[in-house]
Amino acid sequence: MEATPTKPQETPSHSPAASEPSDAQLVLEVLRKDRKATADFVNRHADHVYGYVRRRLFPRTEFADDLVQEVFLAAWANLGKFRGESSLRSWLLGIARHKVEDHYRKRLREVEVPGEEEGPVAEPVDPHNIQEAIEQRQAARKTEEILSSLPEAYSIVLRWRYWEKRGLSEIAQETGRTEKAIERLLARAREQFKRKWNER
Amino acid sequence: MSDKPLQDDELFLRLAGETESAPSVDRAPSRVKAKAYSALIRQQEQSGPLLILTETRRAGHGLCVFENLWEKMPLGTSAKCFNCCSVCHARVLGENVESPPIYWGHCPYVAFKKS
Repeated sequence: MEATPTKPQETPSHSPAASEPSDAQLVLEVLRKDRKATADFVNRHADHVYGYVRRRLFPRTEFADDLVQEVFLAAWANLGKFRGESSLRSWLLGIARHKVEDHYRKRLREVEVPGEEEGPVAEPVDPHNIQEAIEQRQAARKTEEILSSLPEAYSIVLRWRYWEKRGLSEIAQETGRTEKAIERLLARAREQFKRKWNER
Repeated sequence: MSDKPLQDDELFLRLAGETESAPSVDRAPSRVKAKAYSALIRQQEQSGPLLILTETRRAGHGLCVFENLWEKMPLGTSAKCFNCCSVCHARVLGENVESPPIYWGHCPYVAFKKS
């Protein structure tokens, strides 16, 4: 099943103080290479970028610091193209999303993919406990805990497919694998996730 | 709860939505901001000098104690574009220590610590 890519969600935050320059003003000042405006730019947006990147990499957050830096460097390289059609924060989160997906792609090529030679898992696991937790709005914490305990390839493919809402063919294309191979990997990841859920 | 099990795709999309709506309290460590800022300034310098300190002041930004001194010295325009942070211990501390012991005003590395 293919899914439409969506923009990363902005997390609620403190509203800018009245004295803060607008996005357009800040961008102009950064483009002039005003060092203080550049510091404001980082200060104003780093929490959101970091929060997004960290959530997407969790629990392997050791790469978060470098990715945040890469996001700001890519932003600088493209800042002249910022037209203010979205907020500066949304624009930065869009860059962050690309960086996270670059990271997923790289890691899926590097890490060992468990049970690659096997077919899909034979015994389907009952998902009713998960459904119940979702309906009671109690699934978030356990989901993060289980994603943290899965092999890295499994947590990456689940996040990429369901959190970033990428289609199988897109992931296959990005990783140089066949769609069938990604489908099998995803099936194993889902089954292991559900099994762990029911064990806890 | 519905008796009919959700299809896997729908189940996991709903799980993702559930965790996305959970409140997040992530705050970037000050050293992450410091490193990103330093890298950004280095990148800006690669395509030519930074904005002259006089212009930065004119735009309404405060200068730190060292930038103030530097700006008052009888130097040429290009010298006044110098990135004083590149030789300042506040930068080294800011990049490597969380909430570093630096306290003077208008230093970006102090601002990262406060935010």
